[in-house]
Amino acid sequence: MKIESTRFGTLEITEEDILHFPLGIPGFLNEKEFVLLPHGADSPFSFLQSVKEPNLSFLLVDPFAFYKDYEFKLDDILVREMELTEENPPQVWVIATIKENIKDMTVNLLAPIILNTQKREGRQIILEQSPYSIRHKLFAESTGTKVPGGGK
Amino acid sequence: MLALTRKPGERIVIADNIVVTVAGVKGDNVRLTIDAPKEIKIFRGEIYDAIVAENQEAAIPGKLPDLSMLISDLAKDKDKKDKD
Repeated sequence: MKIESTRFGTLEITEEDILHFPLGIPGFLNEKEFVLLPHGADSPFSFLQSVKEPNLSFLLVDPFAFYKDYEFKLDDILVREMELTEENPPQVWVIATIKENIKDMTVNLLAPIILNTQKREGRQIILEQSPYSIRHKLFAESTGTKVPGGGK
Repeated sequence: MLALTRKPGERIVIADNIVVTVAGVKGDNVRLTIDAPKEIKIFRGEIYDAIVAENQEAAIPGKLPDLSMLISDLAKDKDKKDKD
């Protein structure tokens, strides 16, 4: 099937490429299908393009490429609902917000995207009692080794 | 929408399994305790709103950044760190 993207033009995808977000994404609750478009093999970036809305795509970042100590606990109910296991661990991404100056780009460490790549299902979760915020500067802070308040 | 007036120590029961108690009032601050099943997600309203707003700001299709530039900077940072 073909999908349209403002950013990437016409994309040829298959059913198996589609990631299902049964709950949508906060702010976009009706968007339930996306495709993940890697930026490059060695790149920590990817794009998440909506299947039905050409205008909707997110820039995703592999948080561990920038914040080695990034960690959180997934609650048991979510693990069960998403059918995550040790053999099928979640893939974790965070959403970047691009600013006028690209180096001021921030990432939302408080609300990561969790993917079950086998089941092709994703959710954006909100961490509870977390030291992280929705706006961590990707570059100013990445030169240090720790996220302020993080790494617990 | 239902609006109720409660005094400290009084409760509101929602369905069979959610109990909200007014634990105390101090000036402008109302302290609530909430007993609910684990699968019920509870957030301060402003946190959810902030995530909605951040997602909406993040979802801008037009401005495609030159990420390769960032990645080469990243590699440089790494080199520098390795040398340090």
